[in-house]
Amino acid sequence: MLLLVCPLVGYSFVQAVSLYSESSAAGLQSPVLARSLSPLDGILVPTFGSFYVAVTLLFPFVAIRTLGQEKESGALRLLVQLPYRPSTLIAAKFCAVLAAWLMVSVPALSALAIWAILGGHLAASETLNLLFGHLLYGLLAGVIGLLAAVISDNSATAAIIALAVTIGSWVLDFTLAGRSGPSAWIAQLSLTQTLRPFEQGLLSAGLVLGITAVIGGLAALTVVWLPPGTTLRTKIVRSVSCVLAMAVALAVAAQTRSSVDISEDRRNSFSSADEHLLATLRHPLVIKVNLAAEDPRYIDLRRNVLAKLERAMPDLTVLLVSERPNVANPSDAYGQIEYLYGDRNDVSRSTSPREILPLIYALAGAQPPASSVGEEYPGYPLVVSADATLLWFFGGLPLLVVLAWRQVRRLPPDKGLVHQGVKP
Amino acid sequence: MSTVNDRSSPDRSPPLLVAANLTKRYGSDGTVVDGVTFSAAAGEILGIIGPNGAGKTTLLEAVAGLLPVNSGDVFWRGDRLQANRRRNVLFYLPDGVRPYQDQSALQVVSFVGNVFRRSEADIRSAIEELGLGPVLRRRVHALSKGYARRLMLTIGLLAPHDLLLMDEPFDGFDLRQTRDVMGTLRRQAASGRALILSIHQLRDAERICDRFVLLSAGQVRGTGGLAELRAQTGLPNGSLEEIFLALT
Repeated sequence: MLLLVCPLVGYSFVQAVSLYSESSAAGLQSPVLARSLSPLDGILVPTFGSFYVAVTLLFPFVAIRTLGQEKESGALRLLVQLPYRPSTLIAAKFCAVLAAWLMVSVPALSALAIWAILGGHLAASETLNLLFGHLLYGLLAGVIGLLAAVISDNSATAAIIALAVTIGSWVLDFTLAGRSGPSAWIAQLSLTQTLRPFEQGLLSAGLVLGITAVIGGLAALTVVWLPPGTTLRTKIVRSVSCVLAMAVALAVAAQTRSSVDISEDRRNSFSSADEHLLATLRHPLVIKVNLAAEDPRYIDLRRNVLAKLERAMPDLTVLLVSERPNVANPSDAYGQIEYLYGDRNDVSRSTSPREILPLIYALAGAQPPASSVGEEYPGYPLVVSADATLLWFFGGLPLLVVLAWRQVRRLPPDKGLVHQGVKP
Repeated sequence: MSTVNDRSSPDRSPPLLVAANLTKRYGSDGTVVDGVTFSAAAGEILGIIGPNGAGKTTLLEAVAGLLPVNSGDVFWRGDRLQANRRRNVLFYLPDGVRPYQDQSALQVVSFVGNVFRRSEADIRSAIEELGLGPVLRRRVHALSKGYARRLMLTIGLLAPHDLLLMDEPFDGFDLRQTRDVMGTLRRQAASGRALILSIHQLRDAERICDRFVLLSAGQVRGTGGLAELRAQTGLPNGSLEEIFLALT
């Protein structure tokens, strides 16, 4: 897998640097354009995007191998007799999966190092946040592989199950994204959704708790299904308990709104002055949005206003009151967004915070804060070529991987035991 | 007819293990083990004897707690032993397993020895006992059938449990190797360990086992030492093969 990831990540990195450089050439002429140049969007997300594809498609196989091989060879029957509890055995396998993920991430990490060497900017917090997101995603893919290996008779079946989950997750994401109601809820189950906040520089406690709960729940299910001597009925009863516990943890996670905007350009937040003022508004704010969930205006409103308000305001309720617009009988109300604060209300069709924030302040009877000075994100344009680094990703790094593999495969010293066991 | 192990069952100490009325079914009519009851005492070699398909492996895996049963219990020193606690007192060596095939035989033996906290001298002794030395640096997948079997038996010797269950321990050995391994197992029994061996070669079973459980189509057809079985079948000089044919 590592040999595949090297060129995949390398090519994505070089392409990302090339595109970033082209944008930077214009950005160097204009500070306004430069402000839109963020290495998080331009370099990190595309580079790790290919890593994400590799992890989704290939990493479950790595995890499956850690258990599937023992299952197929019969060694599992020896393993479960060793003086370790099933939870200890699965914890050890989980650690092996974590170690495997760390190794697989070497090409992507080397791309970050190369970017820094080329003079590129890396904001530590948003970079670490993105890495953390990918770590959680990798562990999620890994634990899916472990569970698939435990419940399947052979590795081929396990691979089919794991891919059905990971690729099925993509299908969910593509087909149900932007829908409302139950479809939206189902779409949120997509594994792909787990990475998006991290890619936007957001560290969400609810999301981290949710992913951790799913990883823990799937690991617990793996422990339940590992011992071959347990009856099917017992396994099912214990599995139901695990699933219920996981559901409760997910429900708690869904209610946990706390999050930190780690992005350097504070893209997930209003200005500090606005955030402070919004936090002081004590009455509940209800926003009734008369737009369909898939309407681009609603998507704009959610990204630019609602998501930020949810983070900044203590008591906010957003109600989506409209389904798809009726083309035959167009309603004047479609597109209206009603704001209710205390006993006052107002209506707007804008999706821009520049108009909505003053409206909310007016409803609350608060004086809008003075615009902040010095908070502007400067942007980090950089014109550079990374073409030469293809040699590293297509030659040097794979060569190192092969050499390391040979070293690992080499048998250890015999400690004097060899050739002493020959019977006369 | 002469046999290597032509003796009646010894005065038995209280049984270490009792398997009582074990039944294992697959589906509605696939009874593989049908109400099997037997016991094993310390220092005893008990043979589960039967042709291929008699249910020997299923029975051993059920006793080892690696296969859920439909009914029946296993008792250890008189106390009921839950399936998940059996690994604390007994160790089962399955047939046809090559564990950790990418590792060398030495790595596997060292790993198991370390897991069971055995000293290097113990590990060395087990390797020597089974004659595993010439292939220690060979990877498990490259071992011959005989050496793969020796590797498994070495693992069994390193396990510190009072009771060893072995599925077809002589499969893959030639005559001389079989005699050597029988000597090793005899020494293990003499040290106080109980051994339960599943064997389909009746001549091998007759030479090594103190007592027998004759199994056919999942049912016990006879139990006891050779002398008891001869008395039971009225074949005073009958071989185990003749006794088995008479009982099944």
